[in-house]
Amino acid sequence: MSKPYRLSAGGRLIDRAKKVSFTFDGGTVSGFAGDTVASAVMASGQRVFGRSFKYHRPRGLVGLGSEEMNALVGVGLGARHEPNLRATQVEIFNGLAAVSQNRWPSLTWDVGAINNRLSRFFPGGFYYKTFMWPRSFWKHVYEPFIRRAAGLGKAPEGRDPDAYEQVHVHCDVLVIGGGVAGLAAAEAAAANGARVILADENPRLGGLADISGGQVDGQALPDWAAATGARLHAAANVHVLNRATAVGHWHHNFVMLFERVADHDPALLSSGVPRHRLWKVRARQVILATGSIERPVAFANNDRPGVMLASAARGLVERYGVAPGSNGVVFTNDDDAYQTAIVLKHSGVGVRVVDSRGRAEGALPNKAREMGIPVDAGSVISAVSTGWGGLGITGVKIATYRKGQGRVIRETGAEADFVAMSGGWNPALHLWCHNGGKIRFDEKLQAFRPGEHHDKVTAVGAANGHFALHQILEEAYRAGSRLAGSGNVHPVPTAVQAEERPLEPIWFAPATGKYNEGNKHFIDFQNDVTAADLELAQREGYESVEHTKRYTTFGMATDQGKTSNINGLGVIAEASGKTIPEVGITTFRPPYTPFSFGSIAGVLTRDLFLPIRRTAVHQWHVDHGAVWEPVGQWRRAYTYPRDGETNHQSIDREILAVRNKVGLLDASTLGKIEIKGPDAAEFLDRMYTNMFSTLKTGKCRYGLMMNELGFLTDDGVTVRLGDDHFLMHTTSGGADRISAWLEEWLQTEWTHYRVFVTNVTENWSQFAIAGPMAREVLRKLEPSFDISNAALPHMSFVEGRLGPYPVRVYRISFSGELSYEVATPANHGLGLWKEIVAAGGEFGLEPYGTEALHVLRAEKGYIVVGDETDGTTTPIDVGLDGLVSKKKADFLGKRSLDQEYLKAPNRKQLVGLLTEDPDDVLPDGAYAVRHVKDKPPMEMIGHVTSSYRSPTLGRSIAMALIENGRARMGETISFPLPGGKVVRARIADTVFYDKEGAKLNV
Amino acid sequence: MSELSYQSPLAGLAEPHGLSVSIREIAGRGMIDLRGLGTDAAFMAAARGVLGVDLPTKPRTSASWGDIRVLWLSVDQWLILGTRARAHELLASLREALTGIHALAVDVSDMRAIIRLEGEGCREVLMKGAALDLLDKEYMPGCCRRMRYAEIAALLDVVEDNVFDIYVFRSYAHHAWNFLCATARAPAKLKLFGAQEVPG
Repeated sequence: MSKPYRLSAGGRLIDRAKKVSFTFDGGTVSGFAGDTVASAVMASGQRVFGRSFKYHRPRGLVGLGSEEMNALVGVGLGARHEPNLRATQVEIFNGLAAVSQNRWPSLTWDVGAINNRLSRFFPGGFYYKTFMWPRSFWKHVYEPFIRRAAGLGKAPEGRDPDAYEQVHVHCDVLVIGGGVAGLAAAEAAAANGARVILADENPRLGGLADISGGQVDGQALPDWAAATGARLHAAANVHVLNRATAVGHWHHNFVMLFERVADHDPALLSSGVPRHRLWKVRARQVILATGSIERPVAFANNDRPGVMLASAARGLVERYGVAPGSNGVVFTNDDDAYQTAIVLKHSGVGVRVVDSRGRAEGALPNKAREMGIPVDAGSVISAVSTGWGGLGITGVKIATYRKGQGRVIRETGAEADFVAMSGGWNPALHLWCHNGGKIRFDEKLQAFRPGEHHDKVTAVGAANGHFALHQILEEAYRAGSRLAGSGNVHPVPTAVQAEERPLEPIWFAPATGKYNEGNKHFIDFQNDVTAADLELAQREGYESVEHTKRYTTFGMATDQGKTSNINGLGVIAEASGKTIPEVGITTFRPPYTPFSFGSIAGVLTRDLFLPIRRTAVHQWHVDHGAVWEPVGQWRRAYTYPRDGETNHQSIDREILAVRNKVGLLDASTLGKIEIKGPDAAEFLDRMYTNMFSTLKTGKCRYGLMMNELGFLTDDGVTVRLGDDHFLMHTTSGGADRISAWLEEWLQTEWTHYRVFVTNVTENWSQFAIAGPMAREVLRKLEPSFDISNAALPHMSFVEGRLGPYPVRVYRISFSGELSYEVATPANHGLGLWKEIVAAGGEFGLEPYGTEALHVLRAEKGYIVVGDETDGTTTPIDVGLDGLVSKKKADFLGKRSLDQEYLKAPNRKQLVGLLTEDPDDVLPDGAYAVRHVKDKPPMEMIGHVTSSYRSPTLGRSIAMALIENGRARMGETISFPLPGGKVVRARIADTVFYDKEGAKLNV
Repeated sequence: MSELSYQSPLAGLAEPHGLSVSIREIAGRGMIDLRGLGTDAAFMAAARGVLGVDLPTKPRTSASWGDIRVLWLSVDQWLILGTRARAHELLASLREALTGIHALAVDVSDMRAIIRLEGEGCREVLMKGAALDLLDKEYMPGCCRRMRYAEIAALLDVVEDNVFDIYVFRSYAHHAWNFLCATARAPAKLKLFGAQEVPG
């Protein structure tokens, strides 16, 4: 296990002068700057990175980049821990702490591996078949078991200490993928003057240019890529994003790029740079240069640590100077993997090639043979032998093979400690498909390629199924030029590259021994789905590929079928006798690779989590110990408890102050809308149930507003400021909604009305001075107008000054007491509030909060739209028939009120409730039932809409909507509560206090 | 009673530190919301008579005359900016000139908070809260528009190339301010397009 695999030379990305050490599962690993966790761990000789999902089989590195599905690691400690990262993408730095996942207690000795021995009991659809019964076991037995045994990484502990952010950006051309095709397309688009964003998921541009061979204009491909990348970085109209994964593509070319800004550098992170940044890109044109992903081959036990993709083996050597082993086998059905064999041979690693094709005679196979690499054409790997516990490969068996052959006829053994496999290349279609792009099957590639797309998306290069260098360059330069909106095609450089001959598909390599006994041909490594599972699903009737996906979990989770997709479809096609296009393809869903919750939240955390609206007096409320109540996005003072007081005591004190002396309420949140125009009065007549055209200037009227269905949506007091000029008050939560509602009717239905509305809610602070001493307080404030009851009676309005403060004063009341609502421009609000508090001192004035407000209004039987109404409540239901005009020709909701069911006698009607025990306070929403039974179900006849303890009356009061309630006055009804208690209450009038309204007109 | 007390929406906040651009509150500006029909010649003439400048009718534009600036809000709505001291008088003149004309002029000087961003990179700062293409040539001085910014309604006024005024409703002033402080942190400074360093 400890054999070092770092080659003595090579490794384009590493800097051998800079040693870096980090920990993997607690053990120290050393590598070089430029290494990934995957390359450094491999260099240290360790092969096992994790355990598989279901069988807990040991798993090693398979891929080179974001396609990696086995080597998932958790990185960082405590609150900075991030699970499920691909070891192939995690760049190492000194002090990095990485851990493997899904193993217990350790990588080499895993208790869950018993699942592998029991695998005949873990068929496809295992979860569905097993954890069905008994039902009660699910929550306490099955789910905890599954969560522990099958799962990926662990969530971080504690609050994330780092910053995250989002940014919106627009561009002419977004190029996704910085490989050869992406570089060429971006260069062409930029040369034609377009604003270009080039995004790549890797730390540097170039894609697979460094392992593909070939020359461009006489330059080695990696050098050309580096030079082109440098030009793009320098260009004024190009923005290059490295470490930025396009996680999803949505309608109208909206693309999200997940940039890992500081993950690779703790110094950056501690300097306060956002850890991740989510780019929300709106692009006129999107060029997908996402390349292709190599396919594994389904051969027996192809998941053993040491079996990897040919491109991964090549990349380890070329990029990191790491040998995948000392002696291995390249198993392929295409020419490309011969490059891996050649690279390995060059590096002094023993290698032979097993090629499932009958003939292997192209330029690359011939070159391999010339180098002395043994090539077994017409052969497959039929078995791999492993050391103890399946931890490493010791050898393979090579069997002769002819296309379609289902069992092994002749095989020979060979020593090997790794296998580099290649089953062909799939264009990376994820982003193409996220947003509904169509795809078509290419027989030559044996893979899907982009077809039609409704959005302005163009795929180039390998993403479009073109693998030859000259083809890629030609296509990408043309597309970049064209999509930049120019007729000038950027000159296409000359390419030289070995020609490759086509692959021959192989979806299943026959295995030693009886089929599926002790052998597993893995299709989806991450989800532990084998060829046999897919075949079983076909036999069990899961004909639709989407059903097979859900049944077997093939193509799910973080992998989203990157490596498994076509292989799985190939198996299903063979099992069902269909072609792959007939089988169809499962849906690729965003994200392409997982991205962080931090980036999704951005800066909208803590105090920015939700926009909070503050009145001008907010800080005074804070300073005076207010407890808050959220009302929409507003924060309103709920009550102001004094030292030693409970909220209840404080609320009672505030209520009694209003009833006996005087109170002060910050009512600034009330909606205020100015309405003006020759047709304003008629317009209001249509919006409200009651009449406003008869309201006299300087007077106020309470109005009820219904929607077209006849249901209450808002209420409030409207004032006539002038002949054609009104000010409407709405509920606190309703200001924006009602303002938009008025505009909608004016703009879309009653376009002949000459009326303008302006929402001035935010311009005014408004305070209610309420209580028998209210006039005394107002008088102390030096009013510039007559405040006597004769001059300013209930429901009237005056504009003037209080001392130096410009004010509008409305004599309206929501408490039943003498009350003035005083409005002043908001920037004077705090000043006036303090003056009122000071002036009221000698009269015992106390500020009161929203809970006192609610109790006060409930004592008077005033409704709150949203408490006493629920969106299906009419004015008649709440007993306000008197406010529904019988004279007006029409108004919103009038016709609906005539519907039979809205007039039916058994509708729920608003009534008051007095509990038998005056100390019982019914819970809000408590159900009244026709008959109390031992247990539910019981027939419900209504519910409590508001319920309080009234300090004024020294008992509880409530309002409720009760079936046919007004006809049941005096009846006692029952409210069974959770826990078995039954509260009995007598139906009473909704007005509990000052029924005559005498206190209003003083 | 003492003097008339005045508190701007963001009064009393400490000056922010460690930001990549400067942000500060603009207090004491007078604002009048004017509604009328752009197709009504009498209305347009009356407004011009008082303001000294034609109400802009091209969407997302503004017009100025002396210390008065008019922002286009919609086909029948404008925001008139001036000094707070003159707002009352201006409103009275407008109402007088508009007598008999279908219009609505309201003093809304206390309705909004104004935050000024200044410095290189403020477009990028704003792009962290607004989905607009702020690097487009449309957003040059004189441009104004309503937008969704930091999850709330806002009004953008491009004052100079690197000077932007953000108007938000008064109650959201602290939210907008805190959002700006969070997104304008110096270590999070963004420079979009233009020459970049090539990663090693």
